[in-house]
Amino acid sequence: MNSVLILELGVGIFVSFTLLGIFIWAARGGQFEDSKKMMDGLLFDSEEDLQAAVEKEKKVKALKEKKEIEKNSKKQ
Amino acid sequence: MSDVKCTHCQLEFDETVMITEENNPNVYFCCNGCQGVYHLLKDDGLDSFYDKIGNSAILPPLEVEDDSSSFDMESFRQRYIKTTDEGFSSVDLVIEGIHCAACIWLNEKVLAKKEGIVDASINFTNNKAKVVWDEDTIALSQIIDTIRSIGYNAYPYDQTQEDIKVTKNKKDYFMRMAIAVFASMNIMMIDVAKYAGFFSGMKDETLHLVHIAEFIFATPVLFYSGWIFFRGAYFGLKNRIVNMDLLVSSGAVLTYIYSIYVLLGGIGHSYFDSVAMIITFVLVGKYLEVIGKKNAVDTMDKIRSQVPHEATIIENGVKIVVPLDAIKVGDIIEVKTGEKATVDGMLIGSTATFDESSLSGESMPVEKKEGDSIFSGTINSGKVIRYSATKNYANSTLSNIVALLEDALASKPKIEDTTNELSKYFSITILLLALGTFGAWYWIGGDFEQALIVSISVIVIACPCALALATPIASLIGLSWAAEKGLLFKEAKFIETFSKADTVVLDKTGTITEGKLKVKEVKGEISDEYLPLLYAMSDGSTHPVSLAVKNYLKDRFENIENIELSGISQIEGKGIEAYYGDMQLLGGSQRLLEAKGISFEFESIYTVYHFVVDNRVLLSFELDDKLKEGIGELMSYLDSINVSMIMATGDSQQVASRVAKSIGLKEFKFELSPVEKADYINSLKEENRVVVMVGDGINDALALSYSDVSIAMGSGADVALSVSDVVILNSSLKAIADSFVISRRTFKFIKQNLALSLLYNIITIPVAMAGYVIPLVAALSMSLSSLMVVGNSIRIKIKDQS
Repeated sequence: MNSVLILELGVGIFVSFTLLGIFIWAARGGQFEDSKKMMDGLLFDSEEDLQAAVEKEKKVKALKEKKEIEKNSKKQ
Repeated sequence: MSDVKCTHCQLEFDETVMITEENNPNVYFCCNGCQGVYHLLKDDGLDSFYDKIGNSAILPPLEVEDDSSSFDMESFRQRYIKTTDEGFSSVDLVIEGIHCAACIWLNEKVLAKKEGIVDASINFTNNKAKVVWDEDTIALSQIIDTIRSIGYNAYPYDQTQEDIKVTKNKKDYFMRMAIAVFASMNIMMIDVAKYAGFFSGMKDETLHLVHIAEFIFATPVLFYSGWIFFRGAYFGLKNRIVNMDLLVSSGAVLTYIYSIYVLLGGIGHSYFDSVAMIITFVLVGKYLEVIGKKNAVDTMDKIRSQVPHEATIIENGVKIVVPLDAIKVGDIIEVKTGEKATVDGMLIGSTATFDESSLSGESMPVEKKEGDSIFSGTINSGKVIRYSATKNYANSTLSNIVALLEDALASKPKIEDTTNELSKYFSITILLLALGTFGAWYWIGGDFEQALIVSISVIVIACPCALALATPIASLIGLSWAAEKGLLFKEAKFIETFSKADTVVLDKTGTITEGKLKVKEVKGEISDEYLPLLYAMSDGSTHPVSLAVKNYLKDRFENIENIELSGISQIEGKGIEAYYGDMQLLGGSQRLLEAKGISFEFESIYTVYHFVVDNRVLLSFELDDKLKEGIGELMSYLDSINVSMIMATGDSQQVASRVAKSIGLKEFKFELSPVEKADYINSLKEENRVVVMVGDGINDALALSYSDVSIAMGSGADVALSVSDVVILNSSLKAIADSFVISRRTFKFIKQNLALSLLYNIITIPVAMAGYVIPLVAALSMSLSSLMVVGNSIRIKIKDQS
């Protein structure tokens, strides 16, 4: 009987602390700083938004690369 | 004709006044701005914005006449623009016009699509944005123009050290609170099994397991979340102050140590649940305080960002842009149309028209002649003018108002928090009692374990849970009740002050009156012959009086013929002159008639608009600002609960006394500047009155921040909303009466709760000290006392339901 309880409590504690870890990771990344935006998160969650986010990442990457090249050429 | 919604802003207007498109039959626009933004979004593939805003209406696009080139100037760059590690530029902005999540989405999307922008994130809670961009690709002025093109506006703001500190603090508290809440919720679930086991029987080994699980959850709460209490207690002791932190930390630590002792094989029951609960409850309260502080800092940033950051001065005939601090007395300053005057001064060379609503609340533009004073913060609504500075920036009106607001926000009188005060003495008493109990039991019985258990029972039974819950739970129920009625109390403590208020001061325009002029009476008959002329005249100006006449004609007549007038000229502050063929037309006030040498006797206590054709006055309109619905009921309600009502306005005595007379109000103050209004509130407070101020304009912001409780109408200016303690969402006056009912009833229950929890402690503490209560019963009775307080608080709303 107690071994079942140990298993249950062990798994429960492990899962809940894992979820807490994910939450802390998200909070550190600033996800919950804007309480209002967080509540309306669903609005920003379509496939279209995901696509836009990918495109934005590509654009930023290109800009960063460009800056890096400029920096290096200045050094030379 | 029926009302239809504007396709962009969703506001409803009569179908006849809407702009339609031939090849797009299902769209209606209330103005060109809305039409422009709609097409811009459609062309950019961002029309899903309209799905996102749903049914909520937004403000039509803001029309900004300000030139954005100042954003590219060197002085601006030095002050606001920072360089990131990667070599990009970064600026902090406050975005104006944000209304809903869809507005945030739209701004972020439009900016993200723009070439050269690395990152643009907007915070919905405080409307602050951080934009990172590559200066080689795009200029900041282009970014600002992009924001303006979709109907919003942006101001830069300097992130202060205080802001950085408060933001960091908020994040830290949030993390600690989140972990405490998480652990407490888990402990509560385990508790269900534990307490059920006490009644149905539980093996010692099983109970031991449950205690281990609780130990695992309670430990991070005590040492991570509760760290701030240890720190607080330490600094308190260092300064020889016994504070609430000491009771919380000592109570929690003692209970924790005792529970570990039980866990390691001692006799009794562990109380890890109490450890977690004590920390969590008090921490949540602290977190709310931190949020309040952050809001105050955000408000100040919003106000500061509206202050212009530079001015154009004329030196030896050359225009130079200088920062505000560099302006000296005697400098000649140029102000373009739509720009704000930056320092106080004296008009030179020409006449001018200024919108002084930010200072006086008076919506009509004020006409100025050479030598008249120009006040900083007012907007030039006429042509380009020059004036000579009579004060430097630090001594000017605008800077003074900002400084006063800063002080008011920073030192807003904290209402004496009964519970906290009580808890302080309570803490010392309980600690001493527990210590005394331990000493007495050990001295008499000589049994250390017994003495420890009894003294811990005293701490646990007296754990300030019921006391700590007494105020927040009743406030929470009161606040949710208020929210259902369209009232937002920004902090729970205002419930207490509101319930004690004995004076209500109301602003006139927008609070007692609608703030919109309407034609009350027409002297003369509007003939078919002159109707199109009159309509064209009223259409020739955007002055509120002309607009009111135009709206009146549109309501009364259908299919008015559109005609073209020639030689339209504005006669500043008086009216408008135009020609139709040889016919000379005039439309304006009594002063216009005097200026044109037309003798016409007309006396009225209302605002008047005359329509004159070839020096003959054909029609005279009397216009009135309509009283808000429910003002009579509010007055009789306030009278019935012995609260006095006073009207304070920036308007003239004539207008103020007419409005006061029409509603039967005896006390009123008129021609008050924002500072005088605030002084008046202070003088009332000096008479030991508890003052509630109700207002809606920027001019009320200072008075609002000085009052004990401030209420802003939801439709009011951003600044007024920010400094207010209570926001009335539906702008109805009935909500003020509701606020009194809710706050008074809630405060009554807070007092009842406090009395109940004190009574509980008076009965149980002596019993515990006598050793009749084992810690388990102590913990149970502590929970019961909390339940008693919660149960009592639920009764608050019963009155409303009945």
